[in-house]
Order: sequence, then C-alpha cells, then structure tokens
Amino acid sequence: MFEQQLVNGFTLGLIYALIAVGYTMVYGVIELINFAHGEIYMLGAFLCMTFITVLGAPLYLAIVLSVAACCVIGVLLDIIAYRPLRKAPRLAALITAIGMSIFLQNLAMIIWGSRPLPFVKSALPAFLDEPAINLSDVTISWMQISIYATAIAMMIGLNLIITKTRTGTAMRALAQNRVSAALMGINVNKVISFTFALGSGLGAMAGIMVSMYYNTMYPTMGYTAGVKAFAAAVLGGIGSVPGAMLGGIVLGIAETLGAGYVSSPYRDGVAYAVMILVILFRPSGLLGRAVVDKA
Amino acid sequence: MIGKGLKVAAITLAAVGLFFGASAGNAQAEDVIKIAVASPFTGKLAGYGDNVKAGVAMKVDEVNVAGGVNGKKIEPVYMDEQCEPREAATVSTKIANDDELVGIVGHLCSSAHLAALPTYVREGVAAITPTATNVSITDKNKDEDGKVWSFRNVYRDDFQGKFLADYAQKVMGLKKVAVFYENNDYGIGLKDAFVNEAKDIGLDIVGEEAYKSGDQDFTPQLTKFKGDKPDALFIAGYYNEGALIADQAKKVGLDVPKFGADGLDNADYITLAGAAADNTYLTAPFLSDSAGPEAKKFIDGFKAKYGREVDWMSANAYDAAGMLIDAIAKAGPDRAKIREYLASLDAPEKGYKGVTGNNYFDKNGDCQKPAFVKMVKDGKFVPAPKQMH
Repeated sequence: MFEQQLVNGFTLGLIYALIAVGYTMVYGVIELINFAHGEIYMLGAFLCMTFITVLGAPLYLAIVLSVAACCVIGVLLDIIAYRPLRKAPRLAALITAIGMSIFLQNLAMIIWGSRPLPFVKSALPAFLDEPAINLSDVTISWMQISIYATAIAMMIGLNLIITKTRTGTAMRALAQNRVSAALMGINVNKVISFTFALGSGLGAMAGIMVSMYYNTMYPTMGYTAGVKAFAAAVLGGIGSVPGAMLGGIVLGIAETLGAGYVSSPYRDGVAYAVMILVILFRPSGLLGRAVVDKA
Repeated sequence: MIGKGLKVAAITLAAVGLFFGASAGNAQAEDVIKIAVASPFTGKLAGYGDNVKAGVAMKVDEVNVAGGVNGKKIEPVYMDEQCEPREAATVSTKIANDDELVGIVGHLCSSAHLAALPTYVREGVAAITPTATNVSITDKNKDEDGKVWSFRNVYRDDFQGKFLADYAQKVMGLKKVAVFYENNDYGIGLKDAFVNEAKDIGLDIVGEEAYKSGDQDFTPQLTKFKGDKPDALFIAGYYNEGALIADQAKKVGLDVPKFGADGLDNADYITLAGAAADNTYLTAPFLSDSAGPEAKKFIDGFKAKYGREVDWMSANAYDAAGMLIDAIAKAGPDRAKIREYLASLDAPEKGYKGVTGNNYFDKNGDCQKPAFVKMVKDGKFVPAPKQMH
C-alpha cells in the first residue's frame, strides 16, 4: 500500500509542479504573484473539451490548440492587467491579479455553467485506464504513465529553454536585475510576455491532464489547485524553477501520505504543515537562494 | 392654522381614497388563496428547486381546473432562497409577515429549512417540506406548547442510513463494507446511522474515511480501502464527489457495488462517473415503477406537461401541496387551523393518500413512509430488482 500511495502522490505532485513553475517564473521576472494562474489551468481544461465537442478536433490537436490559446490568454492577461501597473506599488498589481482570477472564474461560469462537466470520454484512447504496470501491490495506469512522461518532458524542455536559449538567458538576466537587463539591450516587455506564455502553457497542460485523470472540470477548480501550487512554489523557493518542481512533488506526496496515514479530512493540513516546517528551517525554500532585498 | 388643517384634511382624504382604492383592488384578490413555495430557484441547486416547483404547479393547476377550494383559486407564491440559510431567514420573515400566505411548501434544503424554522414556529405558520431529511429538524419544529409547525412527507437521514445497512446485508448478502462520508451534517448523520445499524446486525465496517466538499483526489483513501477488500462502498455524500469516488474506485481496482442515499440521486452522477456508476444502489422516496395505479395518472400527466420523467422531489412536492390544499379545504384558510388539521393526520387510517403513498405524521411531524431502492444499470437509473419493505 505504501508504494501505491507514493505512486498516487507522485502523480498529484507532478501536476502541482507544472502549475507551480508558472507561479515561480512570473515571480522571478516581475516579482508578482499571479493569482490568475490557477484560472489559466482551469481554462486549459475547458478549452480542450470545447475544441473536441464544438470543433470536433481530435484529442492531440485539441490539446495543442488549448495550450496555444492559454499561452495567448496568459500574454494578454499581462498586457491588459499587469503591464499598465508595472511601475505602480506591488500591492496594486497583486490586487489586480486577484481581480483577474475572479473575473476569469465568472467568465467560465457564464460560458460553461457552474456545474461540473466530465471530460469527453469518447475522445480518450481506451487503454489509458488500463494498468500499465501491475505488480503485487502497485498498479500504475497508462494515464499515470502519460502524466509522468508529459510532465517530465515538459520540465526538461523548460530547463533547456531557460539554460540554453538566448530568451532563457534574457529571462534569467531579468530575474537578477530588470534595470541592468534593460540597459544591456534586452526587450523587457517581450521577455515578460514570453515568460507568461511559457508558464500559462504549462499550467494549461496540467489542467488538461487533471481533467482527463479525474474526468471532471468546473470553473472553480483553479482556485484550490492554484493555492496548492503556490504553496509548492514557496516550499521549493519562490523564483527557483527546479525548486518549484521539487516543491510540487514533495507537496503531492505529503498530501497523499497525509490522507492515507494521518487523517483524510486533514490532508491539506498535512501538506501545508510540511510547507510551514520547511519554511521555518529554510525561509527561502528548499532550493531558493537567500537574496538581499533589492530595495 | 387653517392652511395646516386643510393639509391634514387633504392628506386624510388622500389616505382614505388610497385605502378604498386598495381594497377595491383586493376584491379580486379575495377570490384566491395564496400559499408560499420556498425553495432555491436560482444558484447552484436551482435544478432541485425546479423539480419542487413543477410538482406544486401541477397540483395547483389540477385543483384550480376542478374549481378551486370552496370556489377560490389557489395561487402559489414562489420565494427563492438559493438554499442559503441567510436568504432563507429573510424569506421566512417575508412569508410570516404576509398574512395572505396561509401555509408553506418548503424549504428544499435542510440547512435552509433549519434557518427558517424559528420564524415559522414563533409566528405560527405551518410548513410542509417535501425534501429536507436532516434529523435535527425534529428537535426544532415545536413551539413552547409543544405544537409542531413543520411537517415533512420525506423520511429522515437516520432512516435512510439504517435502511441501506439492512438492505446491504439482508438483501444483497454483503459482509464487509467500507464507508466514505462528506465531512458535513448530512454526510456525518447518514454515516452514523449506517454504521450504528451495521454494528447491530453484524455487518462489518472495514474502514471509515472522510472527505470534504470539492475534493478531487480520493485515491489515497481508496488505496487504503483496497487492502481491506470490502464487498461494497457506502458513499454518504453528494453526486459531484460521489461520481469521482466511483470512477476512481474502479481505476484503483476496487470494482464493487456502491451504496448511497438521496444525495447521489442525480443524472449528473451517471454523466460524471460514466461506466463506473453502474452497480450503484440508492434509496429513493418514490419510484415510478413501484408506484400504485393511482400514481400512474400523475406520472403520465407529469411527462405530458413537462416532457421529462418525474423525479422523487416533484412527486413529494406534488403531495405536499396536495396536503396543504386539503387542509385549506377542510379547515379553512387560517394558519392555526391548517396546522391543527395537519397535526391531526397522526395515524395511517387518517393519512393523505397521495402519489407517493400514505402521508401521515407522528407526534414530531415526521412521516412514516417506506424507502425504495433504485440502481444504476447500463448508465441508467432503474428500480433495483429486489425491494425491501
């Protein structure tokens, strides 16, 4: 049973990790906690379902379209809501982020209604529900394998983008010091837009996979997932991309083991307790670097 | 001085004129008797409110077409409380203050009904709820003299829980059951009743796990259950989470029968759970197929009027409205007399014979009606092959 719980927790953790990366990247470049990120995750699921049911797109195309649409929405979110406030006090941007979160949630309720909807089952290959690995006490389904493969591939890809490409270098430069980066000839707004697009794409993918895995989606699904992923980002060290990945996995496993061995109604409590414990001893998170406040 | 006196006279005249004008307008209104129907008509549970509205409207139309009550037409006044206790408290005051409303059908949700009850008890207006199953309503529906002001023609949660445990063991022959419950009044009450009865009849409870509303991932608890190899899963909660539990249970390899109560009784349960919904057994206060010949007319009429199958809420609301109208006809449109009449239906032979069976109340205003069992088979709700009475 313990091994099975680890498998369950790992699956959940990878999903958290994908969302957490979006929080941490945006925080890294503009020091904004983008509370509307959970809603991008929710929109990913709904758009994918809509592309299948309304346009009749095959699953893979619907996923690509939905992720692309969410990248655009993420960029628009920055341009419309956050860019005008770039020089305003940080609190103003933060409140705007909360406002955008509520706005997107309600928009989704108007478009798709407030009742939970199932993912289009018929669009999914049937083998996904079958067990892929079936040992005496551990079963891993193809769905879980697909989540692992997708999430890990996306994170490796992300790491390559950040470490190997010019835009990635620009992102890191921006994270270190925005003014100096601009002085070096980096187009700040372009890089910020790219960061939003990247984070939103990963978030949308997480939303799509969750709605397939649990076969359900509802307009407020982004809230809980968003808060958890934010906790994961903090746990890993906000601003640190590998930290967000590690934080997500730790949080997912802590939550599952908490539900399995401590007390199921307090599963979130156990997850947050782990986060608080880590922060108590390592205030900058697992992989975060203690930085002197730039101000 | 004179000017002021004139003004007073003018205002008095105007007021008198208004009064007469108003009462002239009321002359027409006196041909109707108004009843309040309090339910959620907007918000998350608006679908349930619609069911109640359909049942009441059908009964009222029938009565009015047949000439009304003592020559007067019945007019239902629909009051929306969104299933929110806060809104229900406001609505209850509105109803109590409007003397034209002689009785109430509602509320739909237990939590809303509990919030409205103190007003009805204090102001003396009788309510029949067709759907609120919470046990604590029984403790709060009496005034200082012990008079009951809230009646219900639906059974209580403790009855459902006990009934399901009996059914699981005696009819299905199950031995070991794992219990999942939502951490709120409804879930805990239902679970306690089930577990207590299970202990009494020797049905083994191999695990009890809670979840909270909005949870999505139930695999940790289900994985835990799987080790205990239960014969069945009892889900004391609502259909949203219930469907996910059924789906994930199947995925972790726990493909066993599921049991639930009225909370799972919704078409969305099957939509969300898909094939995993099969083999779910539910209690239902009313089943079209098990209803008597008199109910057939109602079932067909309902389908003709609304174009859908009748659900238990509509059937119960139809009977609740019927009882209230019966009380008005026999006791007159007077709040206290209506209550007296309803309280006097205290034995099977005095009961109101409706489409949902014989409706009569015990001294607490609770009804004594049987439960039926329905199940999900090939993606549809059908009556379970074996019933228990």
